[in-house]
Amino acid sequence: MDPLSFRFWADQDVYITKIFLPVILGFLALLLGMAALFIASFRREHYHLWHLGKDEDCSGHLATRLKTVFAVAFAHSRIWREPYPGAMHFLILWGVLFIFLGKIVRLFSYPIGLTNPPQHIFLYASFISEIGGILVLIGGGLAIYRRYVLKPSRLDTKPENHLIYVLGFAILLTGYLIKAYRMMAGGVEVPENAFLWAPVCSLLTPFVLVLPSPPLNELLLWHRIFIHTVPASLFLIYLIISRSPLKHMFLSALNVFYRTLKPHGALQPIPNFEEAETFGVSHIGEFTWKQLLDLDACTRCGRCQDHCPAHLTEKPLSPKKVILDLRSYLHEKGKPLIWNQTPKEDEDSCLVGEVISEDTLWACTFCLNCYEQCPVYISAFDKIIDMRRYLVLMETRYPSELREVFRNMERRGNPWGVERNLRADWAKDMGVKTLAEDPDVEFLYYPGCFKGYDDRNKKVAISMVKILNKAGVKFGILGVEEGCCGDPARRIGNEYLYKILVEANIEAFNRYQVKKILTTCPHCFTNLKNEYLQFGGDFEVIHQTDFLNDLIQKKKLKLKGGSPLTVTYHDSCYLGRYNQIYEKPRHILTSIPGLSIKEMERTRSRSFCCGGGGGRMWMEEHIGKRINEMRIEQALKLKPDVIATACPYCLTMLGDGLKAKGADESVKVLDIAELFEKSLD
Amino acid sequence: MATSFRPFAIFVELIIIVALMYSLFMGMNLGLVDLGLDRKYLKFLKIIAILMSCLILFFLVSHLITFYPRLLTVAKIKG
Repeated sequence: MDPLSFRFWADQDVYITKIFLPVILGFLALLLGMAALFIASFRREHYHLWHLGKDEDCSGHLATRLKTVFAVAFAHSRIWREPYPGAMHFLILWGVLFIFLGKIVRLFSYPIGLTNPPQHIFLYASFISEIGGILVLIGGGLAIYRRYVLKPSRLDTKPENHLIYVLGFAILLTGYLIKAYRMMAGGVEVPENAFLWAPVCSLLTPFVLVLPSPPLNELLLWHRIFIHTVPASLFLIYLIISRSPLKHMFLSALNVFYRTLKPHGALQPIPNFEEAETFGVSHIGEFTWKQLLDLDACTRCGRCQDHCPAHLTEKPLSPKKVILDLRSYLHEKGKPLIWNQTPKEDEDSCLVGEVISEDTLWACTFCLNCYEQCPVYISAFDKIIDMRRYLVLMETRYPSELREVFRNMERRGNPWGVERNLRADWAKDMGVKTLAEDPDVEFLYYPGCFKGYDDRNKKVAISMVKILNKAGVKFGILGVEEGCCGDPARRIGNEYLYKILVEANIEAFNRYQVKKILTTCPHCFTNLKNEYLQFGGDFEVIHQTDFLNDLIQKKKLKLKGGSPLTVTYHDSCYLGRYNQIYEKPRHILTSIPGLSIKEMERTRSRSFCCGGGGGRMWMEEHIGKRINEMRIEQALKLKPDVIATACPYCLTMLGDGLKAKGADESVKVLDIAELFEKSLD
Repeated sequence: MATSFRPFAIFVELIIIVALMYSLFMGMNLGLVDLGLDRKYLKFLKIIAILMSCLILFFLVSHLITFYPRLLTVAKIKG
């Protein structure tokens, strides 16, 4: 018999008029109260605190922002990167949404006249709630198993976590018991295929005890409704007024909405640099409001920490801890600032040293892995650079080895301090012309400091020139007029020096009306392409991987086979995570006959840093294990003949790592340009 | 129909109610701390919560033993 022809089980009309009407009215009143409470709590706990920060323009691109919020919140686009927690969260979220949908239909069908008939709307509401409950039970079970049995180190369990699991399961169970009791004690016949519409409650009914008369059963049903709805409402109130981890459903969504749409990892210039009296951040109110929102949006999932090369090599940096420490400080110091109208933050208190240690700040390699892995786009690196800027520009406090580096970059235009007129020595015998000699070129080849001064990297520049000549491309270099792109200065925190270097380079580019720049260094590439725009430098910038890939696709050059080699490709952070170039280098390698690629465990967007970014190339690594050696260990597990890369920093760091591991005889670190050039026909 | 299933059913009910009480008091404590209560009062609140829980539990055990249903009926599924 068609189940839809039945009125919903358990004497529907009676329950709706006698029981559910007061529940509906109560719920509506509660909803209004909770909305008011939510607004008040949100203003008190978050909005006012964020507005202690400076202005930041996060407006515009409404459609893109909304699309990302939906993709992250509902499709879990970034959460699925780790299947276990991804599935767990997906089940819980969609389960809760299904339950809410079922309950809303049930509660509000009466006021909008869906009650009598069609009754079958309740069958669907029942079904969707039950399925939702099952999803939450499975997802919650996975979460409990992970948190309390597997105990991954990145998760810190606090009392609020226990509370959420206990209360969540109690609410679910009491919800199922209400319906099971109604089905048993309602006094009407239940459809024969009730199992299809209430799969869980149908299974529970055989175990439900009832009272001998309908009025007593109705009384007991009230009990059951009470012990279900009161905790459920309290749960919502707790969620609204507390700083519970569940609040991430609002805060994280807000953070995703307001995320930066600027190129990945691009650092922001100091506004009004010439007139500014202070630089960087030493007090919480010197962050922007969006940076403070970042702090509140953290879900403590710890993915950032699990991928941070500094943390994994036992350095005192965990991006998660940086964010959480700053958050605690914001709530501790921020609230008195708002509510007591204290004129300003205690002058003696300083974030650097007091909340975040200097060692923590200097341990960051700016590999961007924390940002890439964060499901809700929280960045730790922008806070770290602001505090580094404070240390460098205000306090002149930085690792002593950097003093020489700054001086060298300022005087000689390179971090090593080699004479500027030796910069283009590598190109002397190659017949490469400078733009001063011949400005009529297709593009400027900007090799960068490594290719200009580092003997190992000069070989890469020579290979690149051979490829360019073979491809018949007309190019030129700046020669002695070329300066450091400024990346180390900026990532260390010396924005003043960066500005000088950038302006000098832009002036040189404009002098020769440069439109197109080819570079072999991902650090130069990132700066020239994504960050020079902030200083008025708008050029078309190509990385060698783009160029080589283009040569292959257009079949401009033929590649011949050599002896078979097993190659593992190490993704440079600045090429991969900063510019999302993952496949082109692999395509180049697979196009070279005889090469077979093996992927390391941490690859592409999860790639492990070489340890040279963020100015770390010029700093001593005193604490913990060396990052480059850990990366080499990961590579050596694959027993490769060659570790290929497309970055001079990685080439140097990995080369050093190989030597430290005593494997430099059996394994080579080569740049993609070298492999390409060797295979030219 | 009398059933030996009753003590087990009462036990399940008690587990649920204890879970709800734990959640209620824990939620209250955490909520108060988040609203600005000094953490040093938490221990006191915890003692109060435990005492109240014991009293409520004692009442519930008596209440359930006295009033909890004794009938286990067969589901009236239309066939």
